[in-house]
Amino acid sequence: MQFPWTKTDRPRPSGVDDGDAIVVSGLRKTFGDFVAVDSVDFRVKRGEIFGFLGPNGSGKTTTIRMLCGVIAPTSGGGTVMGYDVVDEPERVRENIGYMSQKFSLFQDLTVDENLRFYSGIYGLTPEKYAERRAYILRMADLEGRENELTGNLSVGWKQRLALGCATIHEPKLIFLDEPTSGVDPTARRQFWELLNDLANEGVTLFVTTHYMDEATHCNRLAFIYRGNIIAEGTPQEVKADLTADTILQIAVDRGEEALAALEGLESVDEGYMQGSLVHVNLGRRTAEDAGLREFLVDHGFEVGAIDRVEPTLEDAFVHLVTQQGGRA
Amino acid sequence: MNLRRLRLIMWKELVQLRRDRLLLPLIFIMPIMYVIMFGYVVGADVRNLPTAIVDGDHTVTSQRLTDAFSSSGYFVITQRPANEASLKGLVDSGQVKVAIIIERGTEAALTRGETVPLGVIVDGADSKTASVASGYAAEIVAAFDRGLLEKAGRAAGGPVLDARVRVMFNPSLKSVNAMVPGLVASILMLSIMVIMSQAVVRERARGTLEQMMVTPITRAEYLTGKVLPYVAIAAVQMTFIVLIGRYWFGVPFNGSVWTVALGLILFTLTSVGMGLLISLVSKTQQQAQQTVMFVMIPTMVLSGFIFPIESVPAAIVPLTYVIPLRYALVVLRSAFLKGSGVLDLWAPLTAMVVFAVVIFGLAVSRFRKRLAE
Repeated sequence: MQFPWTKTDRPRPSGVDDGDAIVVSGLRKTFGDFVAVDSVDFRVKRGEIFGFLGPNGSGKTTTIRMLCGVIAPTSGGGTVMGYDVVDEPERVRENIGYMSQKFSLFQDLTVDENLRFYSGIYGLTPEKYAERRAYILRMADLEGRENELTGNLSVGWKQRLALGCATIHEPKLIFLDEPTSGVDPTARRQFWELLNDLANEGVTLFVTTHYMDEATHCNRLAFIYRGNIIAEGTPQEVKADLTADTILQIAVDRGEEALAALEGLESVDEGYMQGSLVHVNLGRRTAEDAGLREFLVDHGFEVGAIDRVEPTLEDAFVHLVTQQGGRA
Repeated sequence: MNLRRLRLIMWKELVQLRRDRLLLPLIFIMPIMYVIMFGYVVGADVRNLPTAIVDGDHTVTSQRLTDAFSSSGYFVITQRPANEASLKGLVDSGQVKVAIIIERGTEAALTRGETVPLGVIVDGADSKTASVASGYAAEIVAAFDRGLLEKAGRAAGGPVLDARVRVMFNPSLKSVNAMVPGLVASILMLSIMVIMSQAVVRERARGTLEQMMVTPITRAEYLTGKVLPYVAIAAVQMTFIVLIGRYWFGVPFNGSVWTVALGLILFTLTSVGMGLLISLVSKTQQQAQQTVMFVMIPTMVLSGFIFPIESVPAAIVPLTYVIPLRYALVVLRSAFLKGSGVLDLWAPLTAMVVFAVVIFGLAVSRFRKRLAE
């Protein structure tokens, strides 16, 4: 099957900076025999929120580190904000912001000291620093708490302060590596509002996440799996492949066991748990054909509602990984 | 190397240290405690040895000699047996460590201008105590003899007591003299290794190292900014030790400042290198702690810091040559106490240069590579 957004069908980037925030061609990184990133190509337009998705160990972080000029690629390369990641890593680092899931603040420094440190590192003038400090304190809802130790802040505040520190020099491109993992849903939503604000100001965001609901915030997505980009496009394009398929959401007791049983059926292409519900993809078959309810009841499960649902990004993701012969 | 960024990294490092409620007091209490502990306990002179005196003379001279021993502070006269026969039992049972035998007719012989033997028996069970006690006894007798000669108005060849003790080595009455230069080197090494490896490991575990590597901070700036504050702290600690040694224990400084400085710089590089290597192999602060212990114990035992190299079994001696502290001790002790210059100390200094180049070089090159991963 070929789709407009699959990797093989896409024109290869020329490697020339034509104004895109990120242009990557043939980027490859190996550690010994292990191929962490296998000659990937992609580009990120200025001002877009680019979601970089994939299971743990698939090469997300390695790719980011190469793009930030922290580690050198084994071969291939790319440009970030017009600077070559191999030849000009210092220039790259001056022009990007970076925030990881660890919210890498100095826990034993105060809020103010963290801001002062990063503003000094990026060489902000005193006037600029005063302006950015006021903005970040307001944005992170930390006004009046400037002298608190960062380690004592709750996670949501830490996360927003980390974003503030990473963007104190107003970079036009920000890398966010799993920025919301371990954060409660309210704080996650607030955080995404901040990211949307940044995007509205024209800042390019390169976000990795494994929360599929967050991926829907992105203008474009790339799925990386085992070092290869297996799909790329807008969320709608990525899901397009599945719109003709029948995706069923099944409420059943002992979901894991039910899933294992269902996966043995020939009519079930793919299945996985979505919370306590089982999702199965029947391909082009209809729900009636599959006879899933009878099958489950026969096997002693208590079956609740079975609904046909619109494919989610998670469905698309499972589908893509299954096509690659692996498991999500 | 951007000085603004370098200054910021050092500032941050010192603020973090100031917030550390445990480490900060430790940094200043440790050298004081160590120098006092080692100065009084390990390097302590043997005092208050239980002593028996067999006074066969019963004269003013024998009484004065007895007083000379008891007033020295090294000997406490606990037994006054009537004859030598009972001495063996006292020594065997450990009731006395030292016995002094003043023969009958000692005063009379001295008056005649003769040299008179004085018996000193030392319990050899504890070789250190024995040798130190012998040395003290010899000194007391020598001082007593000087008094006799003065009284007789003669410089030499007069009536003297001849203390018949075997002095196994010339005991340094103040072993703290050798201890202080040794402590300077050990604390330098311990301090830099512990605090620096902890600081680096903590930074990596918390992700701040990763964060700094995506800022314009270069690796050279990070390394320098990390190393300099801890070298400065070690310098403060060493100053503490030297001052306490100098003004509390009266340790003389006869040395060349330049030789001492050269030795300290070389040893600092080695210590920084070891600290960095430890931070490279350790994933957690606990691991770093254990690795430091793993390195420090053999260093303390085999370097000659506490036990003289001469007391190390021959089979283990080759091992002492790979202990950097061994050479630092030789250089610092000689430079401190004897005023040895660079030329006198070329051999240990060469070894120190080799260690500094190899360990520091290896650490920095490995560290620069690993910073990214």
